[in-house]
Amino acid sequence: MPTFLQNILIIMLAAYMAWDNGTGNQITGNWPVIIGLLVGLIMGDMGTGLSIGGTLQLMSLGVAAIGGSSIPEYGVATIVSVFLAIRTGASTGTAIAVGLPVGMLTMQLDIIVKIVNNFFAHWSQRMLHEKKFDKMDPIFYLTVACWMLKYVIPIMLVVLFGTPIVKMILHVIPAWFTNGLTIAGGMLPVVGIGMLLRFMPVKKYLTYLILGFVAAAYVKIPILGIALIGGAAAYAIYKNNSQNLVKSDLQQEVEGDDFDE
Amino acid sequence: MSKDTTVNPTETNKLTVKERKNMFHRWIFFSGLGYNFETQQAPSVAFSMRKALRKIYPNDDDYIKSMDNQYKYFNVTPQMGNIILGASLAMEEKDGIKSLNAVQALKTSLMGPFSGVGDSVFWILLPTIMGSIAGYMALQKNAIGAIIWMLIYVALYWVKMWLFNIGYTSGTKLVTTLGAKINIFTDAISVMGLMVVGSLISTVVKVYVPLKFQTGKVALSLQTGVLDKIMPGLLPVCIAWAVYYLLGKKSWTPTKIILLIIAVCLLGSLTGVLGIAK
Repeated sequence: MPTFLQNILIIMLAAYMAWDNGTGNQITGNWPVIIGLLVGLIMGDMGTGLSIGGTLQLMSLGVAAIGGSSIPEYGVATIVSVFLAIRTGASTGTAIAVGLPVGMLTMQLDIIVKIVNNFFAHWSQRMLHEKKFDKMDPIFYLTVACWMLKYVIPIMLVVLFGTPIVKMILHVIPAWFTNGLTIAGGMLPVVGIGMLLRFMPVKKYLTYLILGFVAAAYVKIPILGIALIGGAAAYAIYKNNSQNLVKSDLQQEVEGDDFDE
Repeated sequence: MSKDTTVNPTETNKLTVKERKNMFHRWIFFSGLGYNFETQQAPSVAFSMRKALRKIYPNDDDYIKSMDNQYKYFNVTPQMGNIILGASLAMEEKDGIKSLNAVQALKTSLMGPFSGVGDSVFWILLPTIMGSIAGYMALQKNAIGAIIWMLIYVALYWVKMWLFNIGYTSGTKLVTTLGAKINIFTDAISVMGLMVVGSLISTVVKVYVPLKFQTGKVALSLQTGVLDKIMPGLLPVCIAWAVYYLLGKKSWTPTKIILLIIAVCLLGSLTGVLGIAK
């Protein structure tokens, strides 16, 4: 594929990703592993796309934009990392070390976009009050375009100017430094795991965390198998708890009746 | 529309299935895109309800009154928003302008609990389980996990449609019945998530110590000879615990921890304590 076409497709992917990630669809979302696969396909190197996407995916587990909070844009980091790794031949660790800061800068753009959107919201409500109802939809589409720029701008800059800069950096930095970044690439998934554990009921269900660890580390069951065992355990717990719920409901009703009498 | 106003309003105000679907699509494909710091998802709510409400209120003033309601603060997990908007649509369709206060009360009281459930199911648990599996497979250059993930999320369209219909048909009373059940479901599925996360610690966190102790002719590798003998994945477990502990401290953000890890790895690489496993 000619590089020009690749560049266009990457920028279009960034626009789509912004749209999809802002809705309840999340089909590509900004999930690194899916974005990594897509960028890999566009750039003609699926293997690199998957390994960088996979690393960033595991790193970002549990980092969720809950309640509209702003978080590092791992999807943007993935596009940048995979794109530069394939174009310049940088190692996974180095590519991620370049991609992550771009993702963090994009987070600042996210805040700006959400401030600008406020202006659009007031404009559209003003049109409502002036009874110019058919202006409201176009204004909303402007909001959508603005939302997409959030990812398009940083990706476009990287696509246009990133390769020579990264090539120059790779030329200058010593081997221990790139090695260190590669080591970090292997270790960083631990951040996502730590974040997740903070969100989950670890203390209540520590047993299952240990079971999962033992199944993988000692018994060497592949991850899908462990997920199935976990699913079975979840089903048993769900059944058990919903029976308890029915029981406690009945008890409450009985107590309620007594009270009335 | 001017023709409609002459017909008996109770007949014209009923939304057709197609119009309800249109509202659903407008919400689900644009739910977060109007996000702003003042009213959060309100512009998207207004956008998605706009057409359906115009049908319900052919009168301009009533329409403006109802739409002003939609421009008020709203924030919920997009996937769960279907239920709330479906229910509020049904209420406005039934009682018209009289229902506005009730609609606003419904929206405000439901978005908190529904977000709590929705965020943990759609933003934490599903991405955790799918992300762990797909990410792990991707590290072995296998795309199947990522493709399955996409297919599952495409299939969720029908789940969201189902939620929307539940909201539209059962209105306010579903909160009590669905609420308790969903909490139990969330709790149970966390168990599945925890098992997957437990397995991830030993499989995806890579720490390799290339140091060797030389005594005479016998060389003892620290990694394979000592650490792996004590417990497979000993160092990843320690590091995972350390990160978990640090995240509990207020002064440590994930970004700081990422930078710390990169710094430690650079130092380890320079001194030769840490290396790349073959």
